[in-house]
Amino acid sequence: MSEEMPDFSNVQSGSSSTATTIYEVKPGDSLSKIAKAHYGDANDWNRIFEANKDILKDPNKIYPGQKLQIPPK
Amino acid sequence: MAKLHAVLVLAALILGLAACKKESPPPPPATVPAPAPQVQAPPPAPDVVSVANISLGKALGPDKKVAAATDTFAKGDTIYAVVETTGSGNATLKARWTYHKGDKTAPVSEGSQTLSASGPAASEFHVSKPDGWPTGDYQVEILLNDKSVGTKKFVVK
Repeated sequence: MSEEMPDFSNVQSGSSSTATTIYEVKPGDSLSKIAKAHYGDANDWNRIFEANKDILKDPNKIYPGQKLQIPPK
Repeated sequence: MAKLHAVLVLAALILGLAACKKESPPPPPATVPAPAPQVQAPPPAPDVVSVANISLGKALGPDKKVAAATDTFAKGDTIYAVVETTGSGNATLKARWTYHKGDKTAPVSEGSQTLSASGPAASEFHVSKPDGWPTGDYQVEILLNDKSVGTKKFVVK
């Protein structure tokens, strides 16, 4: 008699750190979207832009595969 | 005459050999190899991140550490796993949440974050389930650079 296992498909998860984290840009990402995911506020995109000025010249141009430093909240 | 000449040549040869033998340096004393110097383990490299502590709780403080550690949760709780690390450098932390019933295991969730640490840090992973957690036994396994560094079991009642 097999026991049926519960469905965990709707589990929501997240993470954060007191350290700077590194995020790899995925297709469809924007700095606002990344800021919303990490800080809970899309308006915090400028913090990410400022932390990555060495590789970002235009906040509207990020590319999949780029590794961005995400400062702690 | 020839015989005398041969004797003289032979004597000269013997004297020559003896002279050479005297001039050659004495054989070196037998040497015993010195014991190899004791190699001490190098101190841990400072630029390596390592896990110092893993704790579970229902809420976080402003320092991202659990406000009150527990291993028992209610159905509606958000469950936090906090991983405290030391050291600096880049490292990937992963949290693998699973549910256990008898000898069966079901994956619940998996999350990861890549740290660029410059000293001690606290990194949290959290999970919640809008329709409530099934009661039972769970665990979260923490991996550092894909190597398991600890497991915490907990219960939902």
